[in-house]
Amino acid sequence: MKMLARIVYIALGVTFGWAGVAKLIDPSAFLSSILTYEVFGYVLAVAASLFVPYLELCVGFSFVTGFLRGGARWLAGGMTVVFLMLLVQAALRGLDVDCGCFGSEAKASETGFLWPISRDVLMLGGLWVAVICERKADRKRES
Amino acid sequence: MKSVQEAFALILIALVCGGLAYFTHPLAPSFGIDELSINIEEVQSEAEVFWIDARSDEDFARGHFEGAILLNEERWEELLVDFLDRWSPSATTVVYCSSQSCMRSHEVAKRLREELGVEDIFALKGGWETLLETGLAKEGDE
Repeated sequence: MKMLARIVYIALGVTFGWAGVAKLIDPSAFLSSILTYEVFGYVLAVAASLFVPYLELCVGFSFVTGFLRGGARWLAGGMTVVFLMLLVQAALRGLDVDCGCFGSEAKASETGFLWPISRDVLMLGGLWVAVICERKADRKRES
Repeated sequence: MKSVQEAFALILIALVCGGLAYFTHPLAPSFGIDELSINIEEVQSEAEVFWIDARSDEDFARGHFEGAILLNEERWEELLVDFLDRWSPSATTVVYCSSQSCMRSHEVAKRLREELGVEDIFALKGGWETLLETGLAKEGDE
């Protein structure tokens, strides 16, 4: 169980780290992506374009190394839920968004919403599996 | 409780890194775009306007504002020559991209201001979508 949790954490950590690096290479491109969701004002979007990539990188680092992992779990869950909500509202409003999930990508009119939404659901599922496995392993060790 | 403290620690680290990136990253966006932006009503009140299309080559080929020339960051060096040949410094230069959410026009306007040392260069709020909505341009215009 512990090993499965570790593998899932590493996979999630690499995914978050990759997403963070892809965004921080070009924060202006990420800003453009954020603005396509038509949810945030310009100033908030600029702040997010600078802050979110580093938060993803920190979460990725925590998952891979185990350092501050408890906090990273909350942040990863929170971020993924927010990303999911943004995608769903964009799909419902028929917006032609650039996901921006892993740097600047093709518009939704070309790629659709299915894969980005499925990816976020998969990540939430992975996080849930890792937490459950970790707890079971801890309980087993205590008993 | 420990997890919450850890989450705040990670947020703090990300905030510090983001703050540093704002001041040091060459592609960091600016909080102040108002000085670069111009709305369509202000443009219409200008006597002479020189239009620049900052979208991709494909979007430009699909349709662009009458008289606008293409200048995007993908082919900057190549397109700048044509721009300099045709540019009229006495006109107000207005750059547009696809919509309110795109930042290409701001990047091009900012770069032109820096490279030419001219302040009279602006990014159109709303971009091509605004030109279509106001009827100043139509899909497929050339």
